[in-house]
Amino acid sequence: MSRYPKPMARLIEELTRLPGIGPKTAQRLAFFLINQSPAEVQALADSIVDAKKRTNYCSQCFHFTEEDPCPICSDPKRNKNFICVVEEPRDVIAMERTKSFEGIYHVLHGAISPLEGIGPNQLRIKELVARIGPDVQEVVLATDPNVEGEATAMYLARLLKPIGVKVTRMAHGMPVGSDLEYVDEVTLAKALEGRREL
Amino acid sequence: MLRTRNLGEADRIVTMYTKDKGKINATARGARRIRNRLLSPTQVFTHGRYLIFPGKGLHNLSQGEIIHSSQALREDLEKMAYASYVTELVDALTPEEDPTDSIFPLLAGTLSLGERGRFPLAVRAFELRLMGELGYAPELYQCLHCRDNLQTQIFFSEQGGVVCPNCIGHFPGIRPLTNGTWELMKRLQEWELSRLSILHPAPSNIEEMRVLMRKYLDFRLEYPLKSLDFLETLQVIPPLGGENNE
Repeated sequence: MSRYPKPMARLIEELTRLPGIGPKTAQRLAFFLINQSPAEVQALADSIVDAKKRTNYCSQCFHFTEEDPCPICSDPKRNKNFICVVEEPRDVIAMERTKSFEGIYHVLHGAISPLEGIGPNQLRIKELVARIGPDVQEVVLATDPNVEGEATAMYLARLLKPIGVKVTRMAHGMPVGSDLEYVDEVTLAKALEGRREL
Repeated sequence: MLRTRNLGEADRIVTMYTKDKGKINATARGARRIRNRLLSPTQVFTHGRYLIFPGKGLHNLSQGEIIHSSQALREDLEKMAYASYVTELVDALTPEEDPTDSIFPLLAGTLSLGERGRFPLAVRAFELRLMGELGYAPELYQCLHCRDNLQTQIFFSEQGGVVCPNCIGHFPGIRPLTNGTWELMKRLQEWELSRLSILHPAPSNIEEMRVLMRKYLDFRLEYPLKSLDFLETLQVIPPLGGENNE
């Protein structure tokens, strides 16, 4: 028999399904929610349902959006001939934080991972190729600098370069504010390889 | 480093093949954070020296130092795909914490040959020798059924080796084996891994061996390997001039 009343046990079970939430954290969250006022709990529940109902994928870039196309794709100030390819919607948010990219995005929703059985067909790669019209000047590949991200970038370069579009890759380098002494040898070698003249 | 999986916000579960303990699973806390010292040593294909504290379930990886980063395997799509297949085979076929002395040098040697542009030959040698180390070496000299020494007109059975023309009725799904491929298989099974760099077989022999070994491995493995699908996908897209192919 459960130690909790049925509705609370169900709440704990549902919370446990969230990423990074184990049974202990789920119990703590459930106790917190039960102690909140009905209005506060309702607001949280409404926001979850509302976000789920009203958030869709942009039909052009596949980023999360409320309206289609998304505000970035429909912004007339954005350079539509400069496409940045990222793995996940959260990478778009990270790129936007830089305030230095004025092109548009394409979200693949994953990366090629032979060991996990994720191949090109499971990603939004066909849709990316379809977006490369004669006006597109450059595609910058901003996939993660790990095995999967590099494989995805190399695969995309193989597909896109024969179309005749300029394909670039994000630079690898040392984190700003770090100490050279503590940077690992692979990153350091990459940073040296990609050095610039001052 | 055979394989990594993300855990929580910033951690990794790593599967590694070690010299002393065989295959080990461990958690690497914070290994996905950009300034974490485990970020780089926990990249797949890395050969390193690691400090691991035993845990009740998963062990804890606390420090890592790169001996060889195997970066060349990550910078070429074919090399990366073949290396993924090699590491997946080791992960699929070796039991946890049950070391076999010869598997570590075999794995390191194969990846090293691959880095120097000797895939897929190194992969074919690896398949044969790994199966041998695990007690499943295919018989390449005597007929599987009548035990006669074979000379010419050879057939290969997925059940574990060569078969003479008189015995082919005993083995369903049997395939003919050309003399060139037969010789290649014998050399790959017997020669030191380091000597393989002087071997330059015909692509048709490597391809024939690929098909035969695939059948043989499918017969031994209980599930299909995921990395094989990606290798097949790559066959239809030619590499670019700038990639590090040799």
